[in-house]
Amino acid sequence: MASALRLESVALTLLREPGPLLPQIRTALAAEGEPLRWAITAAEITAQGPQLRIEAMVIRR
Amino acid sequence: MPLPTLMVVPTGIGCSVGGFAGDALPSARLLAAASGCLITHPNVMNGAALYWSDARIHYVEGSALDRFASGDLALRPVRGQRVGVLLDAGIESDLRLRHLQVVDGCRATLGLELGPVVTTDAPLGVSLRQGESGASWGSLERPDALLRAGEQLRAAGATAIAVVARFPEDPESEALAAYRGGSGVDVLAGAEAVISHLLCAHLGIPCAHAPALSPLELNPDLDPRAAGEELGTTFLPCVLVGLSRAPDLVPLSSAAPGHGFPGSVGPLLTADQIGAVVVPSGVLGGEAVLACAERGVPVIAVQNPSVLAVTAEALGLIEAGATVIEASSYAEAAGFVLALREGISPAALQRPLPQLR
Repeated sequence: MASALRLESVALTLLREPGPLLPQIRTALAAEGEPLRWAITAAEITAQGPQLRIEAMVIRR
Repeated sequence: MPLPTLMVVPTGIGCSVGGFAGDALPSARLLAAASGCLITHPNVMNGAALYWSDARIHYVEGSALDRFASGDLALRPVRGQRVGVLLDAGIESDLRLRHLQVVDGCRATLGLELGPVVTTDAPLGVSLRQGESGASWGSLERPDALLRAGEQLRAAGATAIAVVARFPEDPESEALAAYRGGSGVDVLAGAEAVISHLLCAHLGIPCAHAPALSPLELNPDLDPRAAGEELGTTFLPCVLVGLSRAPDLVPLSSAAPGHGFPGSVGPLLTADQIGAVVVPSGVLGGEAVLACAERGVPVIAVQNPSVLAVTAEALGLIEAGATVIEASSYAEAAGFVLALREGISPAALQRPLPQLR
């Protein structure tokens, strides 16, 4: 039987906007699937503000 | 009065303290003594054959810790859990028997309430990989088989679940040699976290994972931080001990914060009680830490090098109003926790002490 539940790895870049960061990350990840595990793995200061690299594992049903 | 404190040492990123076999445990014990109440996760407490049980330390799976810190669930301390054991069908018969004997040993010698044992209806198919950052990640081919076995255990009365999955082996790999020599990243850790997160989020009960692996050849140069994993034939004892007193996970939609429940040994612990979070200074970009920082909980950022460099400065946390206290070691962090517990301003302990303007 094939699994209807798939785990996918995802990497994305996010430009941090002013205000709380966590909702920004949750919104970005929700577009990829149901987040199972994630972390900001790099952060770089750019002229536009902090640019974040996020690695994640998401569930796709 | 205790100061509930969160201790986070993310797994699979090569932390100098906590990146090996439960080698952040002495720091956790110290923070528990300083705070009177420490909430931490299996990566901190699990030393394979080695473990430590302390009623002040709450053992909470990583994804549940995130949800606790975010205010989505509360922790209910209990006298004990009935820990079901979930075995991957991919484990060979001799290795399986080793694990069953650990379960029996923990019943007979430690008096833990363990069982039943359920085997998945298909091999889980664990795979390992590292992300671009160097952090450990991993996956499994049959998450459905994991969840079915977990549901069976819960239906049979288990109130917590210890999972053992067969992990791929490469005894000659450079990554393993580096890990045993005290450098590099624990390449198993990412897949372990995926397994326990998946099960814990699905079932809503405490879960933790131990990998099933064949014993390694004796290594005379083994780093002491990795030695806990080479004392026995399984990584399971610490998981069984940790889960046996792990707090219940109570969704906040069904609980009244601060009130006791039948069978509990104290009031519920909720996110609004967290007085400090202690985390390596280069790994501030995780859910639990950000949730605390954005609610104004002091973040004690400890110098504890890893493959990541996600600092408060790089995230713009201080500009966003977070309180971040730098500590050069876990000993210093414990001092700051004690200061917060006693109502002493951490700034008053440091020099220079700038004038107020």
